[in-house]
Amino acid sequence: MEGLSQFAGAIAQIALSGQIVHVAWATLLGIVVGMIPGLTATLGVALVATLTFTMPAQSAILILVCVYIGAIYGGSRSAILLNIPGTPANAATALDGHPLAVSGRAGEAMAVATTGSFLGTMAGMVGLAMIAPVLAEFALEFTSFEFFWLAIFGITLCGQLTALDDPLKGWIAGFFGLFIAMVGQESIHAYSRFTYGYRDLEGGFGLLPVLVGAFGCAEVISVMRQPAGEVVRANAQSVLRGVGNGVRSVRTWLRSGLIGTFMGVVPGVGEDMGSWVSYAAARRAAREQGQYGRGSVEGLLAAETGNSAAVPGALVPVLTLAIPGSAPAAVLLAAMVIHGLRPGPLIMITQPDFFFSIVAMVFWASVAIFVLGIALTRPLLMILQVRREWLLGVIFALCAVGAFAVAGRVFDVYVMVAFGILGFLMREAGFPVAPLILGVVLGPILDANFRRSLSLSQGDPMDFVSRPISAILAGLVLVVVIVGLAPVRRALARLFRRGQEKANA
Amino acid sequence: MSVRRVDAIAGLVVTVFGAAALTASWRMPRFAERNIDPLTAPGITPGLLSAIILVLGIALMLRGLRGGGEDRNPGIANWDRASALRTGFTIGAIVVYGIGLFGQVPFVPATAGFIFVFTFIAEWMRTDRTASLARTALGAAVLSGVATIAIWGVFTKLFLVTLPG
Repeated sequence: MEGLSQFAGAIAQIALSGQIVHVAWATLLGIVVGMIPGLTATLGVALVATLTFTMPAQSAILILVCVYIGAIYGGSRSAILLNIPGTPANAATALDGHPLAVSGRAGEAMAVATTGSFLGTMAGMVGLAMIAPVLAEFALEFTSFEFFWLAIFGITLCGQLTALDDPLKGWIAGFFGLFIAMVGQESIHAYSRFTYGYRDLEGGFGLLPVLVGAFGCAEVISVMRQPAGEVVRANAQSVLRGVGNGVRSVRTWLRSGLIGTFMGVVPGVGEDMGSWVSYAAARRAAREQGQYGRGSVEGLLAAETGNSAAVPGALVPVLTLAIPGSAPAAVLLAAMVIHGLRPGPLIMITQPDFFFSIVAMVFWASVAIFVLGIALTRPLLMILQVRREWLLGVIFALCAVGAFAVAGRVFDVYVMVAFGILGFLMREAGFPVAPLILGVVLGPILDANFRRSLSLSQGDPMDFVSRPISAILAGLVLVVVIVGLAPVRRALARLFRRGQEKANA
Repeated sequence: MSVRRVDAIAGLVVTVFGAAALTASWRMPRFAERNIDPLTAPGITPGLLSAIILVLGIALMLRGLRGGGEDRNPGIANWDRASALRTGFTIGAIVVYGIGLFGQVPFVPATAGFIFVFTFIAEWMRTDRTASLARTALGAAVLSGVATIAIWGVFTKLFLVTLPG
C-alpha cells in the first residue's frame, strides 16, 4: 500500500512539476531516433546522456528513460513501412508489419504496433514495480562470491543469446569487454594496468566513449556500407481499427508482456530477445500459424509488446544489482552513477522515492508513446523520407562532441573512433557488440569481487561454490556453456525436430 | 573469403591477443615486499580473463581451420566495389575528423568542413542521385552551417561544455 501511494505521488510529481514537458520532447526525440534505420536506442540514449550532464538528476534520468522507451517503439515504423527495423529490437516486427503495410494496411499496422508498445511497456512497468523490490531484498544476501558469479553469468548468457548461431564469438566479445575494463588504475592497490606510461589511459576507457563508438560510430560505417534503401511512400489510414484489434488480443499481449519483461530482467539479453521469444511463443500458440510472416496482426502485436516490455524489465537489474539488462540500460546505469545516484541492492532502503519515480517515468513514457504515436502517425512518416547521406555526417559529429563532452578530453574522441572501427569489424566478422559493452560495465564489478573472494577464501576454489546462491549461479553458468557447445546444440536441434515431427504426425 | 577463413584469422588474432595479455598480466607486480596478499595482486583478474580469451581464441581458430562452424557468410566476406568505396570513404572521413581535426582545429570550421565534405561526397557517390552537383553542394553547405551552429549552440550555451577552439 505504501508503495502504491509512493508511485501515485511520483506520477503526480512529474505531472505537476513541469517535467511532463521533458516527457513529451524526449519521447518524441526517441521515436525519431528509433525510426531512422541505423540509429539504435543505445545510440540515442548515449547521445542524449551527454547532453544531460548539467541537468538535475531527476530530469536527466526522466529524459533518458523517455528516449529509451520512445526509440524502441519508434523502430517499429521503419520496420513496418520499409521492412528495415529501425533498431535491432524491431526485427521481428518487420516479419508481419511490412506485409500488412504492403497489403494497404499501413495505418492499422502502425496502430497495432503502438498499442502493443503501450501495453508492453505498461506490463513491464508492473513487472518492474513487483520484481525489483523482491530482487533487491534477495540481493542483500549477495557477497563478493555471488557478484563474481553474477558477472560471469551475465557475460556467458549475453554472449550466448546475442549470438545464437555462434555463442563462441559472443563469449569472446564478452570476455574481451571484461578485459578492456582492466585497463587503467585498479581499485585495490592503485596500480596502473596496461597503460604503458600513457597518462590518458590511467582512468581507463570511459564507458560512454566506448559505447558511442561501438554502437554510434560503428553504425555510421555499417549503414554507409549497405546499398541505399528505398524512400517510403505510404498511407496512414485505419488507425483506430488497429488500436481496437491490438487491445482485443488480450492473451497475446499478456503473454508477450510477461515474456518480454522476463527477457529484459536477464542481464545483457534485452529487447531483441524479448521481441523474438514473444513472437515465437505467439506463433506456437496461434490457431492459424500459416498467417505468421504474411501479415498477422497478432504476430506484430506480440513482437512489439515483447520488445517494449523488455525495457522496464531491463531496468530491474540496473536498479537492484547495478547490472544492466540491455545495452541502452548500460548507458542509463552510467548516467545514474554520473548523477550521483547509487543503484544496487540497497536502493529500496536508501532511495525508495527514486525507485518509484523511475516506475512513474516509465508510466509517463508509455502514455507519451501512445499519444504521440497515434496523433503523429502522418507527420512522423515525413522523417522516413530523409536520406541517410544527409544525416550520417551530422550524427558522427554528434558522436564526437558527445564523447568529448563527458570529460572534456580529446582522448575520448580517439577512443570513440577506435571502438567505432573495432565495432564495425566485429559486426562484419559475426561478433556481437552487446556482450563487449556489458563486459566493459561488469569488468570493475568482476575484478573487485573476484580478488576479494580469493582473499576471503585464501585461494580455496570450493568457497566459490559452497554458498547456495553462488552454487546455483555457478551451475547456471555451466548449463549456459554446455548448451552453447556445438555438439550439444546440434543434439538439441535434432531432438526438437523429432518432437515437432511427432507432433505433426 | 570464406567464413572458415574469416574464423581462422579472427581466432588467430584473438589467440595472439590472449597470449600477449596473459604474459603482460603475469609480469605485473605481486607486491610481496609490501606484505600484500598475493591473491589480490593486480594481474590476477586480467590473467584469468586473458587465459579464457586465449582458450576461446584457440577454439575459434581450430574450428576455422577444421572447417567447422555455421555455414552463414559473415558480412566481411561479401564486398562489392561500391560497398568498399563507401566504407573506405566513411572510415577515412571519420578518422580525419575525429583524430586529425577534432581538438587540433577550432570546432566550428572543423565540424562544418567535415559535415559538408561527408554529405557532398556521400551524395555524389549515390548511383540514383537526381539533383545536380551544384544543388547538392548548396544543400550540403546549408546543412553543414545550420548543423554546426546548432551543435555548437546547444553544447556551449545550453550545456556549458567548452568545445575545442
